[in-house]
Amino acid sequence: MKFRRWISLLLMTIAPISGCRKHPEAPKPDPLLSAFDTETDWTDAQKIIPLSYQQSQGKRIFYQQCVWCHADATPAGPSNRSNLTPVPPLLNDGATLNGESEEFMLNIITLGGSALGKSAMMPPYGKMLSTEEIRSVIAFARGVAQPTYQPPGRPASQYSAK
Amino acid sequence: MPAEEMGKITSRTRLIFAVSSVVFLGVLAISPFKDFRREWKQYKRSYLRFAQTRADTKKLLADYRPDIDQIWLPGMNVVDRCTTCHQGITQASLSDKVPQPFRAHPPIPHNVRDWGCTVCHRGQGPATEVAEAHESTLAWEQPILPIRFIQASCGTCHSADLPQTPQLTRGRELLGELNCQGCHRLPGIERPAMLGHDLTKIGTKVSREWIYKWLKEPRTIVDKDGNVAVNGYETEEEPRMPKFRLTETELRGLSGYLSVQKARAGAPYKIDARVVTAWSKNPDLIPQGELRFRQMFCSTCHSLAVIRAGETKLIGGDIGPELTKVGSKVNPDWLVTWLRDPQGYLPHTRMPRYGWSDEDLFKVTQYITTKLTDSDLLTGVPQLGQPTEDEIQLGHRLFLEKGCASCHVIEGLNPQKDFGPDLSAIGGKNASELEFGAAKIPHNLVAYIQAKLQDPVSVNPVARMPQYNWNQADLDAITIALLSMKGAPQTSALQNLVVPRKEVAFRPTGAFAEVYERYKCYTCHKFNGYGGDLAPDLTYEGSRAQRQWIVDFLKNPQTLRPTLILRMPQFNMSDKDAATLADYMTMVLQHPNANPAAVDAKQFTPTMVALGKQLYEVKFQCQSCHTIGGTGGYVGPNLTNAGGWLTPKWIEAWLKNPQSLVPDAIEPRRNFTEDEVNALTAYLMTLHQSIKPQKTASAAAARSRAAAQGAGQ
Repeated sequence: MKFRRWISLLLMTIAPISGCRKHPEAPKPDPLLSAFDTETDWTDAQKIIPLSYQQSQGKRIFYQQCVWCHADATPAGPSNRSNLTPVPPLLNDGATLNGESEEFMLNIITLGGSALGKSAMMPPYGKMLSTEEIRSVIAFARGVAQPTYQPPGRPASQYSAK
Repeated sequence: MPAEEMGKITSRTRLIFAVSSVVFLGVLAISPFKDFRREWKQYKRSYLRFAQTRADTKKLLADYRPDIDQIWLPGMNVVDRCTTCHQGITQASLSDKVPQPFRAHPPIPHNVRDWGCTVCHRGQGPATEVAEAHESTLAWEQPILPIRFIQASCGTCHSADLPQTPQLTRGRELLGELNCQGCHRLPGIERPAMLGHDLTKIGTKVSREWIYKWLKEPRTIVDKDGNVAVNGYETEEEPRMPKFRLTETELRGLSGYLSVQKARAGAPYKIDARVVTAWSKNPDLIPQGELRFRQMFCSTCHSLAVIRAGETKLIGGDIGPELTKVGSKVNPDWLVTWLRDPQGYLPHTRMPRYGWSDEDLFKVTQYITTKLTDSDLLTGVPQLGQPTEDEIQLGHRLFLEKGCASCHVIEGLNPQKDFGPDLSAIGGKNASELEFGAAKIPHNLVAYIQAKLQDPVSVNPVARMPQYNWNQADLDAITIALLSMKGAPQTSALQNLVVPRKEVAFRPTGAFAEVYERYKCYTCHKFNGYGGDLAPDLTYEGSRAQRQWIVDFLKNPQTLRPTLILRMPQFNMSDKDAATLADYMTMVLQHPNANPAAVDAKQFTPTMVALGKQLYEVKFQCQSCHTIGGTGGYVGPNLTNAGGWLTPKWIEAWLKNPQSLVPDAIEPRRNFTEDEVNALTAYLMTLHQSIKPQKTASAAAARSRAAAQGAGQ
């Protein structure tokens, strides 16, 4: 009996030790790899917004094509935004853009401002970017919007609970 | 047992028989039970349950089959059963935050049904157990490629750089920049004409003490994060020279051997005595030298350490070495010879040959040797004196043993080629082909490559490979580039898929080549995909700019973009050189889409110009991005002098499709009609701004005429 008690004691000491495996150090994130994974909140530098794959594609296009007029700081320094009348909305301007439908956003980027009765300073990108690419830019805009963008709910069904 | 009882069935026998049959039945039952419990079947069932919890169950289960799913591509040697468990990889709705193995694959240009999985991810395709599929076993040696190295797989077929693989591109860049191809065979990495410096005359340039210090520690400070400081200043680029673990005797030997390399060193250049006597007593000498140093735009390629707000910063380019302490490093006579004719000392150097006057040369060299110095540069280095014959012999032997001649040339020594192992198939090696030594690292290829790169001695105590210092990002990038080198594709289907690297070469001949080579235009500008990317790509400059504009710019490059720090240096170019370059550009560097016959400047009528102006200002509002005469945006180039700068054929082709001329142009492609294109071109061709004094003179003359008329009335 005594022998069995010793055995169980031994097993109980060994069992927890087996859990003590040395965990490999987590690799440091690569700045090149994660450049498009997140976006710093434009109004709060402490806040990091994670991006989905589609949004990260949009971020890439935004910083190539749109940043020059729809942001206050650009990779090349000063922004062209203050130079324009009417002043174009910032990309994260949720108060202006959240209310616009997906279709409107798609159209104004594809056809340009003058096609929708807005300023002709917004050029059309329909011959340059594919619809998918434009949708990804819209997804990126929705992701960084302040106040936060709420997707429109489904149209209420006549059978849904009141 | 008694004989008469044999053959009789006793109750005891019955019992044995009954028990053994039950046991046998139980054992038999284990088999179907085990089959039912197979790992992949469990994943099949849990996917069914998981799909029930989702809103789009029907779509998720549209092609559900309860058996093993297999992608079989005989041409590529692919038998992949990964989709047996990874059932949601083509379901877009399972993209984010869905537990593995059901998550959707991020969108990629390749369809999984046409490519399989192991082509990119490695691992064992035919395996049906998690461990066997992902990890290596005794029989199967290809573990799955960790996802942070996945760009290596793109590089296996895409020898050309892809925008989606920044790490791979960086890794290949590093392999080239750090001269890895000096010792190793690396397919697709260009081998430049000059890897390390030509050391034939190194003894005339620096002292033996400086060589000693450099060999001992090419980087002076390396902090724990691998950030490198050279000569005490932070730079982003490491020196290309790695650290060879040398002993004191070896250091003395090598430095002695190198310090006597003075082959064919002629007499130093004598600056005109009149210049020296006129300037050497002048208190303005050093300030004047500094001024000339700045005016020549040395800072476009060379940086200097500057103290700004209590912090030391390097200001300037990184094409040439930083020069903060160069006055204490090099011999003054050598400096004069070098500045006059860099190629006379180093035949392949990228430093252009400037047209110095003796006066400029004297002022600038005096400035460099007086101001850009540090008396502490060689502290801690013993006084070495003249090397002995033994030391020189030892140095000569070491130079070859350590493989120095792989990168460095010394006249009379045979260059060493393929000094290190051939790495053209390193990315496809099995663990059993690698030597891990006593290193305590996981036995797989990725860990091996990283350990070898970080500390070559850790896996092989007698390694000849020198020591590099990497930060984690560069280490991963170079690992990716090495993993992408899997040798020649093994299967016919893959062979057909390999996207070859475009052969980038621009080898002009004739008078242009001589001038182009003398001014080293390719250091900053790209021609036909070949050259640096500091300055605009000039491949199609002849289509874009008018000949006279090119000549004016070459003669006085300081007129454009006055706010940049890195600017085109003032070459003091002769009229003949400028004409040669401009002629060649306008004749050869032409874009096929810019058709000179399509546009004839003479047919532009004033009506078209007026229409163009209206289109520019009202309909298309080009001023949102372009400036004309002080008003407008600054996204696109300033068009104030468009008529004196651009050719009509370029404007026309650009308006029709900017990306066909410059693939990454920001300007969107638009739907202009033919008439609109012509009108806009006509308008832009009327825009002129002259920086020549004649115009102001004529304006002044007009003013004085007007004044005279006013007085007459």
